Amino acid sequence: MIEGLMQALTPTYLLWITVGVTIGMVVGTLPGLTATMGTALLVPFTFALPPGAGVAMLGGLYVCAMFSDAIPAVLVNTPGTPAAMATAFDGHPMVLQGRGQEAIVASCFSSALGTLFGAACYLLLAWPLITIALKFGPPEFFWLGVFALTIIGSLAGDSVLKGLAGGAIGLLISSVGISHGNELARFTFGVPELRGGVSLVAALIGVFAIPQVLSMVAELRKKEFIAEYKPKSGETLKTISKVLAHPVHVVRSAVIGALIGILPGAGSPIAALVSYNEAVRWSKDKSGYGKGDLRGVTASEIANNAAAPAAMIPLVTLGVPGSAPAAVIAGALMLRGLNPGPELFQSDGTLVFSFGWSLLIAGIVTFILGSLFAPLLVRIIRIPLRLLAPLIMLLAVIGAFAIRNNIFDVYIMLGLGVFVFLIRRLGFHPGPIGLGLILGPIIEPSLVQALYISDATSIGRVFFTGTLNIILIALSVLSISFVVWTRRRERVQAQAQAQENASSL
Amino acid sequence: MIKQRKYQGGRFLAAGLGLLTAVAAFGTASAESYPDKPITFIVPYSPGGGSDQQARRLQPGLEKALGVKVRIVYKTGGGGAVGFNELWGSKPDGYTISNVVVPNIVITSKGKDVGFKPSEFSYIGMTASALGALMVPKDSKYKSLKEFVAAAKANPGKLTVAGVGSTGAANYAELAGILGIDTAYVPVSGGVGKMIPMLQGKHVDAGMTASSHAVKHAATLDTIVVAGAEPSEALPDVPNEPQWTYTTTWGVMAPPGTPADRVAILNKALLEATADAKVREMVVNNGLTPIRQTPAEAKAYVESAVKKFSQ
Repeated sequence: MIEGLMQALTPTYLLWITVGVTIGMVVGTLPGLTATMGTALLVPFTFALPPGAGVAMLGGLYVCAMFSDAIPAVLVNTPGTPAAMATAFDGHPMVLQGRGQEAIVASCFSSALGTLFGAACYLLLAWPLITIALKFGPPEFFWLGVFALTIIGSLAGDSVLKGLAGGAIGLLISSVGISHGNELARFTFGVPELRGGVSLVAALIGVFAIPQVLSMVAELRKKEFIAEYKPKSGETLKTISKVLAHPVHVVRSAVIGALIGILPGAGSPIAALVSYNEAVRWSKDKSGYGKGDLRGVTASEIANNAAAPAAMIPLVTLGVPGSAPAAVIAGALMLRGLNPGPELFQSDGTLVFSFGWSLLIAGIVTFILGSLFAPLLVRIIRIPLRLLAPLIMLLAVIGAFAIRNNIFDVYIMLGLGVFVFLIRRLGFHPGPIGLGLILGPIIEPSLVQALYISDATSIGRVFFTGTLNIILIALSVLSISFVVWTRRRERVQAQAQAQENASSL
Repeated sequence: MIKQRKYQGGRFLAAGLGLLTAVAAFGTASAESYPDKPITFIVPYSPGGGSDQQARRLQPGLEKALGVKVRIVYKTGGGGAVGFNELWGSKPDGYTISNVVVPNIVITSKGKDVGFKPSEFSYIGMTASALGALMVPKDSKYKSLKEFVAAAKANPGKLTVAGVGSTGAANYAELAGILGIDTAYVPVSGGVGKMIPMLQGKHVDAGMTASSHAVKHAATLDTIVVAGAEPSEALPDVPNEPQWTYTTTWGVMAPPGTPADRVAILNKALLEATADAKVREMVVNNGLTPIRQTPAEAKAYVESAVKKFSQ
C-alpha cells in the first residue's frame, strides 16, 4: 500500500492525474458529455503512458466529472451528468438567492470529501465491503429501486399526486425499446430508432435544460440574467465551516454514497438521490429543502463522489465494473494485458493501490482547481439571458447527439423538453420525472430477472425472504408512511391555523 | 465591348471546364487510392465490452495498414440492433465499417422487424472466437457437470441458469437439450458484466456465456463444461461437450453493396492487423481463438449461422 502511495506521488502520476482532472472538469460541466464518454475518448492516449499512470488519469477524470457536473446543475439548473440531478434541487435556488459562490464551493468541497471517503474505503475496506455487495441479487436491486422511488415524497412539493404522476411518466419513458427478458419491442410505434430505447442522458437534458431555456426566453423581459453575483473574499473558508457544521450529515451522506457505489449497476445517480432523501428525512427542519438548503447540495455531492471510487471496488475484487466509467477503465487495463480482478492484487498489487491513492489525490486536485475557478465559474449567471439561452440550447443539442451519435436522440430531447415545460406550468416538478428515468433501468430488469428466478421456487420466497429484502421493504414502508404522516400533520396544522385565523377575525 | 465580354466569358468557361476536369480527374484518382480519408468504425455495444476491446485491439494495426485514421464511434442499444442498423443505412463506400458478433446479429434479427438482414452485409472477416461455457461459483454445491446434471434431473425446473438475453436462451436451450435437463433460464439484459456478479453472489446456480469470460473470471468462477469437439486450450482440464456447437465470433463488416475491391483492401488490412504478435498475444490471453478469413469465408460463416438459427 505504501509502495502504491509512493508511486502515486511521483511527478509523472501527479501530472497525469491533473490532466485527467482538468479534462474531467470540462466533460462534467458540459451536459451530455458524461464521465463514460470522457474516459472512453481518453483510452487511446493511455497507451503512451505506464498502465498505472494511464488508469490514474482516467480515474482523475471520473472523480472530477462527479464534481463538475454540479456546476451547470447549480448555475443553470441543468445537471451535467445524471448524478448531479439531486444537486440542482437546492443548488439552483441558492444561486437565485445570490449564493452562487457558496453553492459552487460547497459542491466542490463536498465532492472532495466524498472522494476521500470513497478512496479510503477502496484502500482499506475493499474486501469486507464487497461481501455485502454480493448479497445484492435481482430481488434486492428491485427493492432498492423501490426504496429510491419513495424519494418522490420529498420531491413532490405541494402535490404528492403530481409527484407520483411525474415518476410514472419517467418510468414509462424508460420502458420504451426492447424489453428485458423476452426482448419484444415496446412503444416503438414502428420507429426503428426507438428500439434502442430513449437515451437516459438525452432525456434528462430534455427534462431539465430545455424547460430552463424556454422559461429564460419567456422571462426575457422580466429578467436580464439569472441572478446577482458579487465575488466575496473569504467565502471558501466560510462555506467549508458551514459544510462541516453538520458532521453527522456529512458522514451519513458519505456512507450511503460508498455503499450504493459499490453495488454493480447502481452507481452515482442512485447514491446521490438516496442520500438526498435521507438528508431530508433525518433533518429536524425540513422546510428549507428544495428552496436552497446547503445540506441538499452537500448530501448529493458527497454521495455521488463517494460512489465513484467505491465503484472501482467490485472491479479489483471481482473483476466486475461497478459503473459505466469503471467498465471503460477495466477495458483500458485489459488492453494492456492486465486482467482486473482478484488476481491483480497478487500480480500487480502496487497498481491496485496506486490507483486508490491516485483517486484520493484526484479528489484533492479537484478541490484545489474547483475552488480556484469557483468565482470565475459563477460569472456564468451574469451572462445576459439572450446570450445564455441560445448557448445552453446549443450545448443541449450537442450533448444529446454526442451520447450515442444519434440525431433521433436530439428530437426526443426537444420533444420531452417542450412537454416538461408545459406540464411545469400545471405544477409538475421535473425531479420525479428524472427520478423515474434513472430508476426504470434499475427496477425493471431486476424485477424481470427476479421473476425468472422465482420460476424455480416461488415469488414469495425470492422477493420476501432474505435479510436484505426484509430491510429494504421495511425501509420503503417506513419511508412512505413517513411521507403520509408528515403530509397529514402539515394539513392538520394548516387547518388549525386557518381556524385560528378565522376565529380571531 | 459586348464582344469582348463574351470572349472573356468564354475564357472563364474554358477555365471552369478545365478546373472541373481536374476535379473529376482528382476524383477518379482518389477512388483508386482508397482509402484517402478517415474510416468510421462502429461499435454497437457499450465501451469496455468485448466488441469495444476488439475494435481497440485492431485500431492501431488498421490505421498502419490503411494509412488513414480509424475513428471508433459507439452506437449502442437494442442488443446491437441500433449499431447494425446504422451500418445498414450507411454509404457502401468502405469508409464506414462495424464490429459484428455472430450469432448475436442473427438472433437479434430473427423473426423481428429490425430493418437489416444479416446475410446481406459485406463481411470483411472474422478475427476471434470463443466457445460456449457453463460456469458455477467457486464454492458451489456442484463441483462438476455430472453433479450439476444429477441435481437438475433430481429436481426438474428447480435449478437456475443465467445467460445473456435471447442469444443466451437459444444457446442454452441447445445444451439443456443435449444434457436432457430442465432448468429455469434467467435472461440477463445489458451484457455479461451484469451476469457475473449474480453468479459470484450465488443468486443463480449457473451461468452460461463465452469461454473468454470464463478465462477472465477464473479466480471466482469454475467452468464445468465447454462447447466443441476438442477440449479448449484456454481452459484445460474442463470437459468438452462435442454435440454443443455454441461459438461466439467477433468480426468486421461493411454495409451491403460495398465494392469488392474495397472489401479486399479492408480484408488485407485486417489480416495485417491480426498478424501482429502483440495483437495475437492479447487475443490468446483473453481466452479467445484467433481467426483469419477471406471475405468469402466470412460470408459463408455468417450464412451457416443464419441457417442454424432459422429453425
